[in-house]
Amino acid sequence: MTTLQSTSSHSRPIPNPAKSLITKLHMGTGAVVGIIFAVGAYYALRPAADDPNFYNQQNKALLAAMLSWSVGFLIGIGAFIGPFRWLIGKDLTAEEQLYLAGDGQGIKRYFKYCTDHKVVGIQYLVGVMAMLAVGGSMAMMIRTSLAVPGGHFIAATIYNSLVGLHGITMIVAMIIVATGPFGNYIMPIMIGARDMAFPRLNALSWWVLFTAIPVLCSAWFLGGIPTGWTAYAPLSVQAGPGMNAFIATILIFAVSTAVAGMNITATVVAMRAKGMKWNRVPIFVIGATMSVALAIPAFPTFMLAMVQTATDRVFNTGFYDANVGGSGWLYAHLFWIMGHPEVYVILLPGIAILMEITPVFVRKPLFSYNAAVLGFAGIAGLSVLVWAHHMYISGWTPTLNGPFMVTTEMISVPTGLLFLVLLGTVWRGKPWMKLPMLGMFAVIWNFLIGGITGIYLSDVPADNYLHGSMYVTAHFHYTLMGAALTGAVAGLAYWFPKMTGRMLNERAGYISFWFVQIGFQILFLGMFIAGAEGQPRRVVSFAAMYKYQNMISTGGAYMVGIGFIVLLWAVIHSWRKGDIAPMNPWGAKTLEWTVPYPVPLENFDEAPVITSDPYGYGKGN
Amino acid sequence: MSEHNSEHSSEHNELDLKPTPGQRATNLFKRKDVQRTAVFGIFWTAVFVVLGLYIYPKWMPEAMSTDMKAMEKIMVGFTLISAPIAGLVMGIATQAITNRHKGNTPPPDGPAIRTNGPVVVVWSVVSGIFCLIAVVWGIMEVNTMANAATSEAGTALHVQVTGSQWVWSFKYADQGIESDKLMLPLDRPVVFDVTSVDVNHSFWPVQLGVKVDANRLQTTVIHTVPNKLGRIDVKCAELCGLYHAYMETTGEVMTTTDFNNWVTTNGGHVA
Repeated sequence: MTTLQSTSSHSRPIPNPAKSLITKLHMGTGAVVGIIFAVGAYYALRPAADDPNFYNQQNKALLAAMLSWSVGFLIGIGAFIGPFRWLIGKDLTAEEQLYLAGDGQGIKRYFKYCTDHKVVGIQYLVGVMAMLAVGGSMAMMIRTSLAVPGGHFIAATIYNSLVGLHGITMIVAMIIVATGPFGNYIMPIMIGARDMAFPRLNALSWWVLFTAIPVLCSAWFLGGIPTGWTAYAPLSVQAGPGMNAFIATILIFAVSTAVAGMNITATVVAMRAKGMKWNRVPIFVIGATMSVALAIPAFPTFMLAMVQTATDRVFNTGFYDANVGGSGWLYAHLFWIMGHPEVYVILLPGIAILMEITPVFVRKPLFSYNAAVLGFAGIAGLSVLVWAHHMYISGWTPTLNGPFMVTTEMISVPTGLLFLVLLGTVWRGKPWMKLPMLGMFAVIWNFLIGGITGIYLSDVPADNYLHGSMYVTAHFHYTLMGAALTGAVAGLAYWFPKMTGRMLNERAGYISFWFVQIGFQILFLGMFIAGAEGQPRRVVSFAAMYKYQNMISTGGAYMVGIGFIVLLWAVIHSWRKGDIAPMNPWGAKTLEWTVPYPVPLENFDEAPVITSDPYGYGKGN
Repeated sequence: MSEHNSEHSSEHNELDLKPTPGQRATNLFKRKDVQRTAVFGIFWTAVFVVLGLYIYPKWMPEAMSTDMKAMEKIMVGFTLISAPIAGLVMGIATQAITNRHKGNTPPPDGPAIRTNGPVVVVWSVVSGIFCLIAVVWGIMEVNTMANAATSEAGTALHVQVTGSQWVWSFKYADQGIESDKLMLPLDRPVVFDVTSVDVNHSFWPVQLGVKVDANRLQTTVIHTVPNKLGRIDVKCAELCGLYHAYMETTGEVMTTTDFNNWVTTNGGHVA
């Protein structure tokens, strides 16, 4: 990447990088090599039909095939050409580096191993929208099945798979929904950098993630997963071949998040523009960095949990098998040591986006930048100490429930600071009710409900009743969907002009907003009631006494579905034919609004120098 | 709520003369936006109070044990505690929405308030106090339950609960019987020793307000005192495979006489 920075002008004619191999590689070659690897691995390891350890051997062959697919795809798309050329002493030339950055290649570069952070940002954006669409469709199927009692629409095996695959698809999508598109596209420009710290790793993080998508989809063709996204052992150990797809997805995804998290953190630490001291960094950058930095220690435990599930399934190691001294509690711990930080990995960037948006639309400085940073840091710090509140009723050590209740409820204090920052910023302002700002108000309500219901659930006696019920499902959808996803959609509306050069269709945006938000309240109101009345979650069938609550929920879900279809239409339509956006449609002061569209290859002709934070709005500032 | 708002007056103060705190508070409440915020705040507080007092108790099933009663109290209590906070948050938000700017150009600049030390401090301290109340209440409740479990262990009825894919079974060892229905005598402490023969399940007698996971080769214990006659729904609260949704049974809290009759008609002996 040093070469990239030394090529001072992006506008000079591109010398043809000879007949270098990198010009010939793209998604298609990746897929071909990946499939060859996968098929090869499977046929090399597949068991004979009369193998006494047929299931172990089959799991081994499938896992090997899936992981080989990922490695093969990356080889085929040219992900390792840079390191390989360096190893053999023929490092990439400046021209080749420029070619890898996608200079002058138009739409083709989105299908290549492209190191330009803006290309990676768009790849993430499209990928995330596709994942949300798939996960959302599964949610619609789940709600359709739950419209009436008795579970007539969908068979129990398929229903359980739907629940699990909806869960993992959405969790993966939500982890990258803000830091993927905006963290890659917008954030480097925001801090005045020419690209990410490690552009090749940046491309790697996206393409590694991409290889997980077909792996996850293959679960459907291997019999699905019966475990939900939590994949508790020993159920996951006895599960069928579809479980291998889940395990491989997590292994691949963990690599992707580690690479992306390290890269984003390094970029923010090392590549800020001159004069951008820590207290002048835009708050979105702070929130997003804390989020990815939190993911770096969190995800390896999930990866480890999955490695052990895999070895239990392939080699009968028995980590989670009580018969040979293992324990399912071990799995639960490893899972939730990742699982609780992970919800804040999802939440922090969403809130940080709103903090970035609000000052622009009320024309006031961000209220108490320090409180915002403290809030994020407090949440990130405490979130690694609360995991066992998911295990209050697991029975592993009831005496430790008290301490975990204390740490969990302490999170309400830094969370309160986030509310204070948002409310303090709108206080005495006249909010400009564009789509991003509407999202801010929706999140205030949704996150309030999600937060208060979270306090009930953090309380041991209340959780004794509510754990594992629909109430929990409603609670975490309020935080993850109502707050984090709404924040990300607000971010999309806000940055759409910079990322696509066009304005997002406002009318469709408003229609979508109201359908989604009103439908959302109806959907989860029904679920709160059913849960408080005692309906367990993840059930294909429920008693007639929950009939109306579920019917209401399903009605709300369809409204949400319609709203998101309208949003998808708005995005596609506006991207192709929307009004051309001015350079700075919202009158914001962060650096990304100082560059034209299309953003030049290295963002800035002259490196910007920062003299104040970007919140100098308001009279007397 | 007033202690939050009164702090805003410091940045609103445009006079050179330092007004007394009393004057500052009066000036503050003369401001139209503050008055509107207060009205909206009171409205939203009332909404959450009503939710806590009337809606929650209606949603939840009839409490049939001490634990369920305590749990319902906590739900109502926590809602009431959070009502003023939620009211303040929604009051400010609603006020801002009613004061919105329309049109296609950005609104005029607002006051350049960068921060307000006292507001941040008061906000943090107040939320800390509410957090403390919740923590102390919860811990006291946990402690009460643990003490009850210890002191009543001697007289308690022991039921061995076993989860298997996808049925519950209940063994009354002292009485020498086994059943697929959960029958319990009124007002006698009961201890559930819960285990599983295969994957994780979670034993949930809904109206008793307690729950514990069933783990293979492990025994987990919960304790409660059924104190009301009536039907119990027993469910599984941990996804345990294909027929998880159907892993449910029923039971009944009955008078001691009825319970003893049930035991003897099923071939057991009263203990």
